[in-house]
Amino acid sequence: MAPMQPPQDDLDRRKVVGINPETVTNITSTDFPGHHAGEDNSWSLSNFKQNLKVHFHENEKDEAIFSLVGVDASIANAFRRILIAEVPTLAIEKVYVQNNTSVIADEVLAHRLGLIPLKGRIEGLKWLKWFFEPNPDLGFEGVGRTDYNTVVLSLNVKCERNPHADKNATEPEEKYINSSVYSRHIKWAVQGSQEEQFRDGPIEPVSPDILIAKLRPGQEIDIIMHAHLGKGGDHAKFSPVATATYRLLPTITITKPILGADARKFQKCFPPGVIDLERVTPSDAASDESVYHGREGDEKAVVKDPMRDTVSRECLRHEEFRDKVKLGRVQDHFIFNVESTGQFPSDMLFLESVNVLKYKAKRLLQALDEMEK
Amino acid sequence: MRDSPIEEETSDPSEELLLGGAKKLVVLPGASSHAASFQIEKEDHTLGNALRYFVNKNADVEFCGYTIPHPSETKMNIRIQTWEDTKTTAVDALRKGLEDMMEACGVISEKFTEARDEFDARQS
Amino acid sequence: MSGQREAYTLPTQTGGLNQFASGFAAGDASGGPTVQYVCGECAAKVSLGRGDAIRCSMCGHRVLYKERTKRMVQFEAR
Repeated sequence: MAPMQPPQDDLDRRKVVGINPETVTNITSTDFPGHHAGEDNSWSLSNFKQNLKVHFHENEKDEAIFSLVGVDASIANAFRRILIAEVPTLAIEKVYVQNNTSVIADEVLAHRLGLIPLKGRIEGLKWLKWFFEPNPDLGFEGVGRTDYNTVVLSLNVKCERNPHADKNATEPEEKYINSSVYSRHIKWAVQGSQEEQFRDGPIEPVSPDILIAKLRPGQEIDIIMHAHLGKGGDHAKFSPVATATYRLLPTITITKPILGADARKFQKCFPPGVIDLERVTPSDAASDESVYHGREGDEKAVVKDPMRDTVSRECLRHEEFRDKVKLGRVQDHFIFNVESTGQFPSDMLFLESVNVLKYKAKRLLQALDEMEK
Repeated sequence: MRDSPIEEETSDPSEELLLGGAKKLVVLPGASSHAASFQIEKEDHTLGNALRYFVNKNADVEFCGYTIPHPSETKMNIRIQTWEDTKTTAVDALRKGLEDMMEACGVISEKFTEARDEFDARQS
Repeated sequence: MSGQREAYTLPTQTGGLNQFASGFAAGDASGGPTVQYVCGECAAKVSLGRGDAIRCSMCGHRVLYKERTKRMVQFEAR
């Protein structure tokens, strides 16, 4: 029996999560074989390719907002989780303190240094290899620190009195030299082939103005740091995103016309730009719907841009709108918001996360082959 | 394609180190040809839920579900049962699910790059 | 105060801070032939050897602070 294709209406209805005053309905996806009698919902790459749509809304260097339409929630979530926890990133890991006479404790200083985001030429960052600690329990000697897995940075700041300062100066910036240690004081010590790999894109903090510590005359910080690759799941400093989130596209369906003062009130229930007010046309007024009779020229509420809606369900709080509007979310339309900390551009991060998922599958296939041997 | 640090782990002896001697993928006892539970090390919901989706998309699969036995351990169990009257074994279904997932990732990458390039071109 | 000083042993691996700060084990005797201290009042550097009176040479204040070790200390930035 040939698989039947259900009416488009049905398909559309299946895809919308119902948002009611107190409940949420129709949340799970049902596009699996066997769920709907007579339909074939098995995996088809061509169908997937046809239905998949990617649409960009914004693509700044450190923030990308785009819509991914046609994937299941489990996959979108996998990408989100990978963006946060599994994309390899470079961050300071080992801090060797030669001298620290500041008031900031060594370990606090080390913690702060670890959290500073670093940037460098992307091809160079991709070329870096993992560093593995020696682990005597498992008999592992370690890979050793080389120029392809360790980045050496140094921070050397000494605070002194400013001989040229005004006698009545009060500000530390005026009275002392180097009273504040910023991330721009961090210097990169090029090692071997890193020179070639990071040409025109030296390794440095993303922002030069991160305040690390404050000093007074006589205090000094002399530190060498080693930066390694790591994953966000291990420590948050290795997370390449400030935040990676997605939301589902809201839908607002006006089932019965909302006119006049009601329309204006309805518009106020939503963020600006979601609802537009249009005039009732003569053709509408002459139509069969009794609501429009005699209301020509009146304002009518029309949904303009549901993407701007924050789904606060404010309109459902008012009696007059309860049965005139249906709120919902489209189950497979994900509006991603990826904000990078600066090491990688946001769009590249998403591609990386797709690669990581692909690699995970490949790795498992290898394990499967091994198991079957 | 050049080895990025993600793929490095395959050829690295330290991959076994990460696993600490355990095998990445193990079939749990009590499995038959059409019904098996697999235990995957060092994976969590990220792979589990996505893989479950792809395996369920297989018409020959009667049941597929995953669970994480204890949140303190990074182990994931996935159970696959295929219909008795098909030739597809549980292992086949797992393999197909993984391959489908890789294909889907490829398509997503492509479409994303297209859309991104088009958007950038429109902006400039 | 015991006259006998025990050899220094490394702290065990348990405990938050101890795990991540591994300075060198103090193998040599603390209190070398002459050690720099800092006076509590006048902040002058004072050098004392073993058996010297504990007094600042400049102002005679009797509280002296030891300077931070010159040894390199390693931390994990976590």
